[in-house]
Amino acid sequence: MSPGILNGEPSVGSEGPRQKSKATVETLRVGCIAMVEKDGQARRAEILSIKDTKSGRQFYCNFDNFNKRLDEWVPVKRIDFEQDVEWPSPDKDKPKDGKGKNSTAPKKKAPSKAQKRPSKREQSVISEAVTPLPFADIPDSQSQSKAPSTPRDLEAKAGETPATAGDEMDIDDDDDNHTPEVKKEEEFSREAEIEKLRTGGSMTQNPTELARIRNISKVQFGQWDLFPWYFSPYPESFTQEDVIFICEFCLSYYGDKKSFSRHRSKCTLQHPPGNEIYRDDYVSFFEIDGRRQRTWCRNLCLLSKMFLDHKTLYYDVDPFLFYVMTQKSEKGHHLVGYFSKEKESADGYNVACILTLPQYQRKGFGRLLIQFSYELSKIEGKLGSPEKPLSDLGLLSYRQYWSENILDLLLECNERDEKSSIESISNSLAMTTQDVEHTLQALKMQVYHKGEHKLVVPEAMIKQREKAKLKQKRYIAPERIQWKPPVFTASSRTWGW
Amino acid sequence: MTTRKVRYKKLNIKTPLPVLREHQINPSEYESLTTESQIATGVEQAEENEYHLQAALKGAGASTDNEIPVPPPQKSTEANYGELYPTPYVEPRNYIKFSDTVEETLGSLYDMTTEDDEFLTTYNAKKPANAQLSEDDFERIMEIFEDTAAEQAPFAAVDNTVVAYEVMAQAMVHLIPKQIVQAHAKIIYEYWMDRRQVCGNKALHPSLKFETHQEHDDMDPYVCFRRREVRQTRKTRARDVQVADKLKKLRRELEEGRQLVVSSHQRELVKREILKADKHIYEQRAKLKETKIRLNIKTDDDDLVNTKPQKRPRAEAQQPSRGVPHNQLRLTVRPDGGRSMEPVDLTLLSDKLIEKDNELRNDIEMKVQNHRRWNHNYVDLTAEPLPPVQDKKEMKFRPAKTTYLMTPPASSASDSMEIDEAPPADVEKALAPFIFKGAPLDDSDQEEMPKYRRRIGRLGRLFIDRRPARSGLKSPPHEGDLMQSDRWKYDQDDSDDEQPYKIKVDSNSLRQMKFRSTIPPPPMLFRRQGADPQQVQGAANRPALPQAQAQAQAQAQGASASSQTQPQTQVPAQAQVQAQVQAQVQPQPVQASS
Repeated sequence: MSPGILNGEPSVGSEGPRQKSKATVETLRVGCIAMVEKDGQARRAEILSIKDTKSGRQFYCNFDNFNKRLDEWVPVKRIDFEQDVEWPSPDKDKPKDGKGKNSTAPKKKAPSKAQKRPSKREQSVISEAVTPLPFADIPDSQSQSKAPSTPRDLEAKAGETPATAGDEMDIDDDDDNHTPEVKKEEEFSREAEIEKLRTGGSMTQNPTELARIRNISKVQFGQWDLFPWYFSPYPESFTQEDVIFICEFCLSYYGDKKSFSRHRSKCTLQHPPGNEIYRDDYVSFFEIDGRRQRTWCRNLCLLSKMFLDHKTLYYDVDPFLFYVMTQKSEKGHHLVGYFSKEKESADGYNVACILTLPQYQRKGFGRLLIQFSYELSKIEGKLGSPEKPLSDLGLLSYRQYWSENILDLLLECNERDEKSSIESISNSLAMTTQDVEHTLQALKMQVYHKGEHKLVVPEAMIKQREKAKLKQKRYIAPERIQWKPPVFTASSRTWGW
Repeated sequence: MTTRKVRYKKLNIKTPLPVLREHQINPSEYESLTTESQIATGVEQAEENEYHLQAALKGAGASTDNEIPVPPPQKSTEANYGELYPTPYVEPRNYIKFSDTVEETLGSLYDMTTEDDEFLTTYNAKKPANAQLSEDDFERIMEIFEDTAAEQAPFAAVDNTVVAYEVMAQAMVHLIPKQIVQAHAKIIYEYWMDRRQVCGNKALHPSLKFETHQEHDDMDPYVCFRRREVRQTRKTRARDVQVADKLKKLRRELEEGRQLVVSSHQRELVKREILKADKHIYEQRAKLKETKIRLNIKTDDDDLVNTKPQKRPRAEAQQPSRGVPHNQLRLTVRPDGGRSMEPVDLTLLSDKLIEKDNELRNDIEMKVQNHRRWNHNYVDLTAEPLPPVQDKKEMKFRPAKTTYLMTPPASSASDSMEIDEAPPADVEKALAPFIFKGAPLDDSDQEEMPKYRRRIGRLGRLFIDRRPARSGLKSPPHEGDLMQSDRWKYDQDDSDDEQPYKIKVDSNSLRQMKFRSTIPPPPMLFRRQGADPQQVQGAANRPALPQAQAQAQAQAQGASASSQTQPQTQVPAQAQVQAQVQAQVQPQPVQASS
């Protein structure tokens, strides 16, 4: 069960032969891979952290091929000690295990990815551990130079870096880049890292790992209790709180209940602190400048970081605009979701981060956010695309939005018996041609037949689309948008004039 | 078929592609075409293979969507939502515009914790109800402590500086009422200091970690919101100048603003003085009145009221204070405000109205006169000129509107016909003077026209008095005309009839057109006019014959004694006619029996 079901590759742990043997509760350490019960099934899981609670020892487990948001603290009884445990390799593997546990999962593909996507993010990553850093860079070294200068809001993936570190293990497999010499150098730093780990003891963690472990267990937000998915750099003392309180309107955060209720008695905000640029009977949109509303936007980022793995808070919010979707009640405008957008995107992105809060997910709000981002691009007269990488949920939402819209467009063309080009699709939807092409390919609509490229719309999709249309869906009404693309002069970008 | 590898043409994004549905293509072929290809998903490769994502992607297009499981949110059981969020929201009609920051919308930025609450409760327990410290005041004091500490000792966490109470007291002076400071601040300070020490002399509110530029900063996941490297702008001389100018401008504008504040401050001070003086006067008057009553002095109460003449100078005295030129608007408003404060200064609405009315009248009068002055010696030639402002004095005389009837000349027609035969040009020539007469360049049309008035005399007789056009009497231009016609005279002798036409250079000129419009039958008119007097008065006046006739007569009769002046000199025919016309000028009563 454990190995990636789809690919059949185990993603946790290193490839190399590992030492296997039975373990006990006491001997199980960070970096070990054990069989842990999850939803009734035993799965391979890597131990990322260990804590002792009143009810006994608990292990923070990352499950093989499961998203990190499903990581959890597991009591002893869910761990199968009957089966062998894979130990972190004493020397070489250790560092990797330590840091790259999650990363291990990605390992296999990681190297190739690193090459493909010479990413800026990799560098800016929050979690970049000291030691892994050298490794991580190597795969990217060609592209590296560009990275540091433009770190993206979205992306830095805390978890990822380790992945890169992990790559290095796989070098032999896929990575031609790594020359032996390089490897040697790395080894040195690795040694040092190991040394640190050793002397630090098993309970201490490398900062990198910190960021891989969810640090806040519960958030009281408005009338909801949210359970964070990922690490978020709220004040460190919050880690000890059972629950933290976040004001629904100004998004201020409190670890102390009394403080929170005092704050609530003083807080006068009832909607996001910006200009409303869209309103219908269902949702409203507010535009908020990261420079003007620094506190609010920082609070928003901290909040959203709990649900976005690849978001980085490494840099400040100044160069971003935030488009916040709200739903109003008799209490005010409730934050439903938002997307951020660079004031000036060198890569033509129209979305940096995008998030629907968990309590509003699966209700079609994501599509509204995405549609709104494209409506803004249409007003700007630009083609837009979301910043990469996408999260799994983001990918699904975007794929759905793209395919629905392209499908509708193509069916119209088909009825009128017109031809259509990728460019015309892209222009009418304000999507980049790459996104159009990828969607067509993903839906298997783009075929090569009798020496000619053709677009074929599968019947199954048409049926599905018709079914979906029956459900009353909500759309953004572009004529209700009251918005002009904001203009920022060079000096306003530099100094805020 | 499927096994054969086909090399695809590269797909250009501009290529128009046929859009088909599945049934429009052979299904078996289609199947084979949709072979797997590696598609970039945009997801981190490390995560691409995640179980739930793959399941969901496989499901896409299938009937059932596989959802990716997430930790589910719950309705909070502990939170008392209604209590925490009590304020009802009222939606404004228009789209919201808002730019206050979070800090601006909050009062005190310090929120007391449970610990503070305990402290405060015990603290207040010892105090009588009226001397207790409210939560709000507690927070305000704590906020000042925290702010001042952050300002005075930003590195307190490192060097453990403790800001002294005196400094805190200074900071509180303006922000917190004195009695509260005196009663509580010292004790709160002790408490605050204790708490600071407990948490390592850091800010009491948990705060985010910002960069400190220490080595471990970069890898600390808690450090967030780092400042970005500022984009380097290239340093050029032009840029330096630009920046300097900007700064100078800023300085100047700030200085102006400061001056404004200073001036208005002074103004307000002066106003206060005035008010004080007024009050003093009022009080003195009150005393005076009492005294008067007591002493039973009965005079009119003028000395108790500011009389009007007094006001005027005062109001004017205020005017000069408009010294500052740039904000006249404001200053003009001020005097009114100042005036309104003096009750005596009130003016009656009726006075104002009368004043205004007079002003208007004067204005109109002025304009009438101006208009007259401008129009003096001018004639309005525009198509529909505004009627000139006229005195109504001569109302009784009305200008006669001459309408020319196109009826053929009566008895004398035959004469003229005869003469016409001989020199038709002469007729034209004879008409020439009318150009000048008729052309209003010199005088207004009306003046030229003969005028009449009706009056009723004794025994109910009706008189019509006549006042012929006067212009002919005086206007000097006629002299010039004479000269011109002189010339014509000789020209005429030299050559044939054509000549005069050539002289009129532009037949389309306004003047010529005007002239032509006057052409019709003046001869008739003259004959008629002439005829009556002839009948009435005999030969006393020379009949107003067409010039040709007159000329003929003149030639024929030579210097006949009956006529007055003309023939002595070589006055041209035109002049003769003029003379004749002039002769008629004396008013002649025309009798008509009613």
